[in-house]
Amino acid sequence: MTLDPPSTVSTTSRRGTATAATRAVGVLTIVMIGWLGVFGLLLSPADRDQGDAVRIMYVHVPSVWLAYLAFIVTALASAVHLFGKSHSMQADRVAGASAEIGVVFMAVTLVTGMLWGRITWGVYWQWDARLTTTALLFISYIGYLAVRGLEGSRSQRARRSAIVGLLAVLEVPLVHWSVKLWRSLHQEATVLGTDLDVSLDGLMLFSLFVGVVAFTLLFLWLLLHRSRVLTMIDLSAETGLDAALAQRRAEGGVTA
Amino acid sequence: MSTPDLTPRPEQSPKRQRRRIMPAVVLALVVVAGGVVITQALSTAVDYYCNVDEVGERSGCDTGRRLRIQGTVGEGTVVAATGATLFDIRFNGASMKVEYAGEPGGIFKECLPVVVHGVFDESSGMFLGDRVEVKHSEDYVAVNDDRLEEAEADSAACDSSA
Repeated sequence: MTLDPPSTVSTTSRRGTATAATRAVGVLTIVMIGWLGVFGLLLSPADRDQGDAVRIMYVHVPSVWLAYLAFIVTALASAVHLFGKSHSMQADRVAGASAEIGVVFMAVTLVTGMLWGRITWGVYWQWDARLTTTALLFISYIGYLAVRGLEGSRSQRARRSAIVGLLAVLEVPLVHWSVKLWRSLHQEATVLGTDLDVSLDGLMLFSLFVGVVAFTLLFLWLLLHRSRVLTMIDLSAETGLDAALAQRRAEGGVTA
Repeated sequence: MSTPDLTPRPEQSPKRQRRRIMPAVVLALVVVAGGVVITQALSTAVDYYCNVDEVGERSGCDTGRRLRIQGTVGEGTVVAATGATLFDIRFNGASMKVEYAGEPGGIFKECLPVVVHGVFDESSGMFLGDRVEVKHSEDYVAVNDDRLEEAEADSAACDSSA
């Protein structure tokens, strides 16, 4: 006896998770990442003190921007699930997908930051305010993903993780302002500082801008696909249960 | 009507059981990792982070304890001795002589702000550093910028507080 998924899932499986819109976003993302490579590696100048190590910034800063954005989207989607009348499961899936992407890019932020730190500071790591709060943020969202995987019904898991998602996002401003609140080895914000004064060479700033746009598009593209994958997983689990029940009924000779 | 199959269903496979307990294991590891991060950060924070002009002046920046001192490496003060590097660090008009056991890493050079970890030696009046970290400012200047601008920036970096 086979447990064929219903036509909705098989149809979706054949189509994959792409639509014309996501393909357009994907192509645009690839183009922008290509431009980032050209500007970041070839056109932008080396820094007077850091030399070519400054090029790490074109991945490091967009990565942390993407991670912050992802965690904020997780919090907003969690709020929609928790406080919305329908307790939307789609919002829960968006929250989960966004957190997964955020964790990956927070890891990229930490790794690129450590490489830059070794070249510039002379050490990979220092337990200062910015680095410590960033590590805690990373660990918190790994915890969030673990909470999503705990035992319970779909709605129980969604409710639990929504609460964690809303609490964990409070760390984001703490990480961003940590260099202002405490003395830190990490430099203060070059672009999003309180005085709005940008202390960055023109071409470096443009390369950084290209990086931020490229990574924002990448986030959108990944979020759309991952949310759809999570929808298909949920659909598959639901239809799998229906099929199992039908199988049991058939074995017992009971008609539905 | 056929007889229903009442034989118990097989136990969950080990793989499925592992998948069930894995999130709880990860969550436990997250709690442990969070504790380690906080403990490490707090144990480092025990060493007060002082600017050169605060040493001996500000509460916590006493010379009898281990400190982290921030200042800008003085122009023309870096001397490589046998197994050590000597230099001055300056902040807000105050200056301090540093002896670092080794060769500082990173982009260490004159006129850049640094953070030196170590203890103050009352007899020699020097700060004996065992770790030097170069603190890069939030300013990014292209290497091929106008020489005049560069010279002015260098001069400003030496004069300013870290």
